[in-house]
Amino acid sequence: MVSTGSGNAVSTAHDGERYVEGARVIEHMPASLNAVPPSRYYLWLMAPALIVLAAISIYPFFWLIWMSLQNVGAGPEVEFVGLKNFIKLWSDDKFWMGWILLFKYSFFCMFFEITIGVFLAVVLNGHRFENILITIFLMPMMMAPAIAGLVWYYLFNSTFGWYHWLFQSLGILGETSIIGSTETAMAGIVMVDIWQWTPLITLITLAGMKRVPRDQLEANMVDGASAIRNFIAITLPNIYPFLLIAIMLRFMDNFRFIDVIMRLTGGGPAEVTKVLPVYLFDVSFVYFKLGRGSAIALTLLIVTIIFGKLLVKVFESPASKRIDQGN
Amino acid sequence: MFSKPKDALYTSISRRKFLELGGGAATALGTGSLAVGMNSVMMRTPVQAASSQEAKMKQYAGSKLVFMSENTPPSFAIRDKIKDFYDATGITVEILTDDLPVVLQKVGIDVKGGKADFPVIYAQDKPIGAALADYLADFGKFIKDDTLPQDPEGYGADVWFDNFLDACGSMYEKGKIVALPYDAAVACTFYRQDLFEKYTKDFEKDYKYRMEFTAKTTWKNVLDYATFFKKLKQAGQDVPYGYAQHLGTFAWTTQLDIQRLMYSHGQWLDFNIDDVLGSKKPGPTNWGDATSVEMMKQFKAMADVSHPDNLANGTLELNTVYQSGQIAMQVQYHEFAASVEDEKTSKAAGGKTAYAPCPLGEASWIKNGGKAVNGTNCGIGGIAINKNASEDIQRAAFIFATHAVSKKVQYSVLTGLGGTPTRKSVLAEPDVVAARKRPSKMPNALTFESVYDFGIKAPNFVLGPKIPEVNEYHKILAAELTKCVAGKQSPEDACKAIKKQTDNVNDI
Amino acid sequence: MASRDVVAYKTPLSRIWNIFTVVFIAFYLLWTLLPLMIMFFSSFKDLLAAFQLPPVGAFSKIGLFFDFTPTTKHYYNLFVNLGFSTYFANSIISAGGSAIISVVLGSMCAYALSRYEFRGKPDLFFWIISTRMAPVVAVLVPLYAIFRGADLIGTKAGLILAFTTFNLPFAIWILKGFFDNVPYAIEEASMVDGSTRFQAFRAILPLVAPGIGAFVILCILFAWNDFLFSSIIGSGGAKTLPPATVQLVQPQNIQWGSIMAAGVVTTLPMMFLGLLIRRYLVTGLTMGAVRE
Repeated sequence: MVSTGSGNAVSTAHDGERYVEGARVIEHMPASLNAVPPSRYYLWLMAPALIVLAAISIYPFFWLIWMSLQNVGAGPEVEFVGLKNFIKLWSDDKFWMGWILLFKYSFFCMFFEITIGVFLAVVLNGHRFENILITIFLMPMMMAPAIAGLVWYYLFNSTFGWYHWLFQSLGILGETSIIGSTETAMAGIVMVDIWQWTPLITLITLAGMKRVPRDQLEANMVDGASAIRNFIAITLPNIYPFLLIAIMLRFMDNFRFIDVIMRLTGGGPAEVTKVLPVYLFDVSFVYFKLGRGSAIALTLLIVTIIFGKLLVKVFESPASKRIDQGN
Repeated sequence: MFSKPKDALYTSISRRKFLELGGGAATALGTGSLAVGMNSVMMRTPVQAASSQEAKMKQYAGSKLVFMSENTPPSFAIRDKIKDFYDATGITVEILTDDLPVVLQKVGIDVKGGKADFPVIYAQDKPIGAALADYLADFGKFIKDDTLPQDPEGYGADVWFDNFLDACGSMYEKGKIVALPYDAAVACTFYRQDLFEKYTKDFEKDYKYRMEFTAKTTWKNVLDYATFFKKLKQAGQDVPYGYAQHLGTFAWTTQLDIQRLMYSHGQWLDFNIDDVLGSKKPGPTNWGDATSVEMMKQFKAMADVSHPDNLANGTLELNTVYQSGQIAMQVQYHEFAASVEDEKTSKAAGGKTAYAPCPLGEASWIKNGGKAVNGTNCGIGGIAINKNASEDIQRAAFIFATHAVSKKVQYSVLTGLGGTPTRKSVLAEPDVVAARKRPSKMPNALTFESVYDFGIKAPNFVLGPKIPEVNEYHKILAAELTKCVAGKQSPEDACKAIKKQTDNVNDI
Repeated sequence: MASRDVVAYKTPLSRIWNIFTVVFIAFYLLWTLLPLMIMFFSSFKDLLAAFQLPPVGAFSKIGLFFDFTPTTKHYYNLFVNLGFSTYFANSIISAGGSAIISVVLGSMCAYALSRYEFRGKPDLFFWIISTRMAPVVAVLVPLYAIFRGADLIGTKAGLILAFTTFNLPFAIWILKGFFDNVPYAIEEASMVDGSTRFQAFRAILPLVAPGIGAFVILCILFAWNDFLFSSIIGSGGAKTLPPATVQLVQPQNIQWGSIMAAGVVTTLPMMFLGLLIRRYLVTGLTMGAVRE
């Protein structure tokens, strides 16, 4: 993709200048300035970034494909097995369970973050202390997920955790900690995600709400519509594309990061929080079954890319064009 | 106990000093830089069998090695005193410490990738040793090599505690040693003697026997004690729960937890393989047989009377629960005694805790006709050498490995941060003998009677299962076991599920 | 601010609403701050004090939380004994290095992408952003192989490059949006005045400078908070704060005091930086889709 000129960087700069000199010569013909500039200049500008990206993405991708066709045993021997790893995945309960749990986890995170986050935005919008409050609310987002996992582990601990004490005192939980029961462990990891990422939804929603056409709101107010109806009828449709983007971003992050789960439950108890990336981690880094791991990784990668495609579609949809125009 | 990793020594060696040490010697003696690994540097001065001990020690002066280890006391202690080793050999050693799962990840990637970034490896017997045995060098050739400095005590099975050398060193091939015993975690019972004495009368009324803990105490007794404490607790009394298990995130210790119970009852083994050597082709597992189902039931029965947060507590958390005075008994690794006896962190310190061997099998629970034993297991952390490393790096690594397991070092670890010796001669030291009784300067020594004099000996000790897929086996077992404990499946189904998945992993 | 003066009528309903909002905000404030506060206070507590809890249900004894003699020994321990000054420096160097490289290379690439139309551009653009979407666990093994091959494991240079794998596509994606908003006419004008094409590029840089500055900080934030890359790629020689903190969970004692102190040390600078770029946060965290 990069022109394979034999020259080095120095001669390139020189090349670039020559074009520019060319442009200067025809200075008195402004129309020609609108012509598409010579492509080579732009290619050189793009080249460094593209080379770095290619090196770190193309090789791993093909490595994954190649590895997924191998059987990597306990010893150094590697054996070509064709599609056997994928066929085995079909009957691998933990693989399917991993997907189900991943979607379940993401769904719960989304549901609560959107509900709380949007509501918080409604409450904060135009509030006297809006700025200072939102700034405070943003703080959890700045914390490294691995650290957040540790801190919440400390809070949830049944021996010395203040949150456990609180839950117990309020009668929400018994002596079993939230991450020690198969019924509540998922709620535990979801809680941490809510704590960290609800403010992002609030922030996005607020950005959207600032752009709700004022005349519409006023018209409705005169009609005496309640704040809630007002919100559903006018604000929600306006911020809908924003929310869609937020959902997809959070969804993909749940695919990417497992720091909190690793610190809090490690996939337990009884595998109720073993979402697919955690299972993949086990296969690749605990069992060293790199063939099977690569097959799982590929499925994860493909689903992520599909999501990415959808996301970009939303970015470019007419609805979200409004987002930029409102700027 | 806070470790004090000093700055690695190599940073304090100036370039010039380095040249003097290595390069200078190289020019003079006709040596040179031989191999440069990722972080390792190799310098060699050839020696003969007849050379002096000092010359043998210094033959790799100027070299640098990396030791990937678990974050346990011996590694901290050796790191603190790494200068001693440098002074004796001229070899710089960088000691990296991590959580065991992280050590496994890093070492696994390293050796599987055919590399030797970590020439010296902490090889915990099953998770690392059994899983990566093919990548570990055989100590046999170094031990016989008279151009290398050797430990005066030698390396025979008899210089280490019973079974220790086999536990971490023997993998799949007879006569090959892949690791030397570096530290040890052997299970024994920690119990609250103060509470046992206080409540024994009440207990006797209900159960018609005394509440005490000896080598004859059975798993059924443990179940009784735990049931008794739970009833008391539920009646509103200010007592801890009786018992808790190792069920948290660390699959290996979960497997060990039920293994003790199973081995106690007729010496049940996971696979029909040699317990010492293990096997690369273990064949079908014994899960699903009558003994395993019975034991799963009993394990579940014990879980039902355990601390309510049983499922969240791994080995580490379990010890915290015990330290905070919330349970009256735990079967725990003897290396934890130091933390339990630490008045600054533990409510069970100051003579409240007593130590006993692991519980004995209950005759009436045995289904396979075997005998009842005090099933005891371990994690013997070996020190191993990466086979991918060049011959010279391996030899230099050997010099460090023998230092790390030497009597002198083990003794200083024990007296300093509270380690767990693997060499018999360390226990013969007068102050170590004295420390076995309270008040003890080395709290870990309080467990030595139960552990070194009893638990690790035949017929109580179980070493395996050593199979290449051991880590996946641990995870499968822990997952199904916890599902059973959580009441999500019956003991029968749990055993069946373990069998199905394990056999699948082992290509049956 | 569009709707502020609209809701002006005081009805009973709106009064209830107002009370409700105050309560809700108070709760949310508590929910946000409590974990941070507990982390902060626990970092000054001795281990036994940190483990003190009132009896279940005894809300009147909640003051027990503040019942301790503050000690700075955990911080002392971190920096003097546990080498956290090195890890802190590693974090700064690797996060900062990667942010700068990402934004420099990224702005060049983004500018070109913004100004230059060619066939397959949407595909190229998507490929760029997809490299950031890849689940880290999925690509870690092959990445390790590449880094190992280049002798970059355990080095700060390696870690900088590793962080660049997710920061660079992010920077390109975001900055393209910025350049798109700068009219081409400005460059035209500058070129008409006789400057070279590259000078024209530099001429519009001040216009996007605040944005670029904000995204340098955002890139630092992403890198600083990363755990998997820094624990595997940075292993040993270039350990950063998050893996160093996680390592305080030791087999025989979890050093909660030090962990909390390390949490404070890791989190505070990022909160400060977050404040600085507050205005750009939405844009950054939504990959440029949303502007505030």
